[in-house]
Amino acid sequence: MVEKKEYKLNRLETTKLIGPMVDKHWAELREAKEHGEKVAWCSGPLFIFPYAMGMKCHFMAGYAAYCAGRKAGDQVLEAAEADGELMDTCSYHRLHTGMAAAILRGRPVRKEVILPIPDLLITGRLCTEMAHYAEALYRRLKIPVVAVDIPPPRRKEDLPRLERFVVRQIKESLIPALEKVCGKEFDEEEMRRILRVLKKATTLRNQCWEFFKLKPTPWTLWDYGVSIAPVFYMMGKPETVPYYEKLLAELKERAAKKIPAILPDGEKYRLYWDAWLPWAFLGMFIRKFVSYGAVPICGRYPWEFFPHPEYIDPDADDIVKNWVELYYTKGHQAMVMMTEGALEQIMELVEEYSIDGLVMFASKTCRAWVGQREIVNEIERRLGVPGVIIEADMVDSRMVSEAQIETRLQALFETIDARRRR
Amino acid sequence: MIRGLEPFLKAVENPYKTVSEWKERTGKKVIGCYPMWLPKELVHAAGLLPVVVWRSDEPVTIGHAYVHTFNCGLTRSFVDDAVRGKLDFIDGFIIYRTCLQAQELPFILEQHVRPAYLEYLYLPAIFPGAATKDFLIEELERFKASLEEFTGKEITDGELRRSIELYNENRRMLRRFYEFRRKNLGVLRAREVMAVVWSSMLVPKEEHNTWLRELLLELEERQEELLKEPRVKGDLKVVLTGALCQTPQFEILDMIEDLGMVVVDDDLYVGSKYFANDVELDGNKRPLEALAEHYLKREPTCPTKGDWEMDWTDEIAGMVKRGGADGVISLLIKFCPPHLCYYPDIKRGLMEAGVPEVMIEVEHEIVSLEGVRTRLQSFAESLRRGA
Repeated sequence: MVEKKEYKLNRLETTKLIGPMVDKHWAELREAKEHGEKVAWCSGPLFIFPYAMGMKCHFMAGYAAYCAGRKAGDQVLEAAEADGELMDTCSYHRLHTGMAAAILRGRPVRKEVILPIPDLLITGRLCTEMAHYAEALYRRLKIPVVAVDIPPPRRKEDLPRLERFVVRQIKESLIPALEKVCGKEFDEEEMRRILRVLKKATTLRNQCWEFFKLKPTPWTLWDYGVSIAPVFYMMGKPETVPYYEKLLAELKERAAKKIPAILPDGEKYRLYWDAWLPWAFLGMFIRKFVSYGAVPICGRYPWEFFPHPEYIDPDADDIVKNWVELYYTKGHQAMVMMTEGALEQIMELVEEYSIDGLVMFASKTCRAWVGQREIVNEIERRLGVPGVIIEADMVDSRMVSEAQIETRLQALFETIDARRRR
Repeated sequence: MIRGLEPFLKAVENPYKTVSEWKERTGKKVIGCYPMWLPKELVHAAGLLPVVVWRSDEPVTIGHAYVHTFNCGLTRSFVDDAVRGKLDFIDGFIIYRTCLQAQELPFILEQHVRPAYLEYLYLPAIFPGAATKDFLIEELERFKASLEEFTGKEITDGELRRSIELYNENRRMLRRFYEFRRKNLGVLRAREVMAVVWSSMLVPKEEHNTWLRELLLELEERQEELLKEPRVKGDLKVVLTGALCQTPQFEILDMIEDLGMVVVDDDLYVGSKYFANDVELDGNKRPLEALAEHYLKREPTCPTKGDWEMDWTDEIAGMVKRGGADGVISLLIKFCPPHLCYYPDIKRGLMEAGVPEVMIEVEHEIVSLEGVRTRLQSFAESLRRGA
C-alpha cells in the first residue's frame, strides 16, 4: 500500500511573470500584419532566422502550448475535425489545420488563438510530421514554403555530414527565401545580437537547472517547462535575461533556506518525465504527482533547448554553422530524437539527478519521442530504475484517462517503495 | 484458371517460407529492406537478395513490449516478428527515415536480432535545392561502401547497371500487366494483382521476370477467351488508393469484388507506386546518380517524401478518368501519419472534382470485417444510385 501523506505544491513567485510575457508575444504576432510586419509560421529549430530578419514568427509546438494554456485546444481540434481531420493525426497538426479552417471557413474558435495568415511557411524537418503540417497548410493557404531537412543522427560519426547538409540547406534555401519575402539581405548582425541575448539567458537557465540536483528540489520540471519561452520563441528579447536572473535568485534563496518545491518537507519520489510536457493537462498531472509526494525533475524535451550555451558563439565567423553545431557536432541536441542518443542522455540524467522512476508520456498522436518502450526496458535492465508508460495526448482531452494515469502512477510508486524496502 | 498466376500466389502464401527456401537453395544472403523507396538495385548488385519486409498475418503479442500499440500494423508486426525470432533467417536489414515509426527500428533490431548487417540510411526529403541531391548521392556512396564491406566485394558500375536494367525490366512488365488489367476488366482478381506485385518484393528479380514473361504471354494469348468468362463480375469500376508501405488484407479486396466493384487501377505501394518509374540510365550517367534521380522523382506522389507542391488528389483523379472509374476506395492504414495528414485534402479534393470516395481504415488486427463490408456496401449502393 502506497503511504499517503498531505503534500502541497509550493509555487515559485517568478514563474507567475511568464503569463503576461507570453501573452504579449502572441498579441504582437496577432497584430503584426496590421503593422505591416512580415510573419512566418515555423516548425523545427529555425525560427532564429526569420527573427534575424525582423519577422514575427509563430512556432508549431509553442502554438500548441499557447492554445492549450488558453483552454482553446479542444475547440480548435473540433474545428479541424469538422473540416475532415481524423483523430489519430498529430494533435499539433490538427491545431494548425483547425486554425486554418477557422480562418478559411469561419469555424468558430476563440479569437486569441487565431493567428494571421503568414507570408512564409518554414519547415524544419527534425520530426517528419513537422513537414506534413506545412504541406497541409500549403494545400489550404497556398503560401510559399521553404523547407530544411534536419535528420536526427543515430550515431556520433554521422554528425559531421548531417551538419554540412543542414548548413547548406539553410544557406542555399532558407536564407534566400527569407531575403525574397522580406526584400532585404539577411541580417547577420541581428542574428548575432539574438545569440548574445540567448547565450546569457541559456547560461542563466543552466545555472537554474543545476538546482534540480538538490534534495529536496526547490523547483519542478513544470516550473522549468513554463519558463521555456524566454529561451525558445521569445529568444533575443531583452526581457528574457532579467526573467532568468529573477528565477535564479529565487532558487538560490530557496536553496539557502532549504525551501522545497513541495511542502512540508520535499519530495518522496524524484521522477524523469519523457517527451512533450502535457500542455493542456499540466495542472492535473502535477496535482497527481504532488499527492504522492512525487516531483518531475528532468526530461529530454526541455533538455533540447540549448543545454550547452558554451557553444553559442555570437562572434563566430560562420554564424549559420555555429547554430547548426548546437544540434549536431557540438551540442548534439538532435540526437535525443533517436533512441540511441536518447538512451545515453537519459541514463546520464537518471544518475546525475538521482531519479527514482521514469514516466514516459506517450502521446497517442505523436511518435516524435522514439524508443520510449525500449528506453524503459533498458534503463530498468542497466540501472534498475523502473518506469511506466502513460498513454495520453499533449492536447486532445479525449485521449487522456485520469483513471489510467492514476493506476500507472500507483504501480510505479509501489515498485519504487518495494525496492527501497529490499 | 490462369496457370501463369500460380507461382506468384504461392510466393505470397507464406513469405517467410518463400524467402528462407530461396536462401537455402542458393546459399546467398537475404537483406530485409524497409519500404518504400530504398534503392534495392544496389543490394542486388552486391550479390544479395533484397526483400521488402512485410506484415505477418498473426496478431502482435510480445512486440508491444517494444513499440507502442498506436504504431502502424507494419512496424508493430515487424517488431513482433523480430523479437520472436521469426526473422532470424534474414541476414541484414536496411531501414531509412520513411516516418517517425521507422526511426526506432534500428535500435530494436540491434538489441534483439543482432543481424550481421544493419544500415540506417538518411535518405532525405525531396526538398528543392542542390544540397538535397548532393547529400543523397553522398549517402548512396556511403551505402554502397557499407555493402561492399559486408560482402567483401566491390560493386562495379557495370554490375550496378545490370541490376538496374533487370529491375527496370521488371517494372516495365508490371506496367504491361496493369495495362492488361485496365483493358480487360474482370479477368484478374484484385488479390491476384496484388500477389504479382508483392511477390516482386520477395523473390529474386531474375525469377520474377521469368514468371512475368510467361504470365503476360498467357494473358495475351488467352485474352479473348478470358474476357468471355470474366472472373470478377461487377457493374462498378473503382480505383484503390493509399495503403502505404504494406499490404491490406486480401479479404478486403475480395469483399470489394463480391459487392460488385471491379478494381480498374490502383496507386497502392504494393501496386502501381512500386513500379511507376524506371531508373533512367544513359551512356554517360553514373548508375548511382541515376538511382538518386529515381529517388528524387516527384511522381508518383508519396507523402513520405515531403513534396508540398505535387497534388496526390490530381493523380488519383487522373487515374479515375483514365480508367473510367465510378469511384475511389481509400485504404488508410491505421496509425499511418503521412497518409493521415494528407487524407482530408484528398477527400475534399475528390469531392470538389465530383469523384465519389470512401475511406476504409485498415488495421493489422481486423476488429470486424462486417463493419468494413457495411461501409463498402453502402458505398457501392450510393454509386449505383448515382448519389
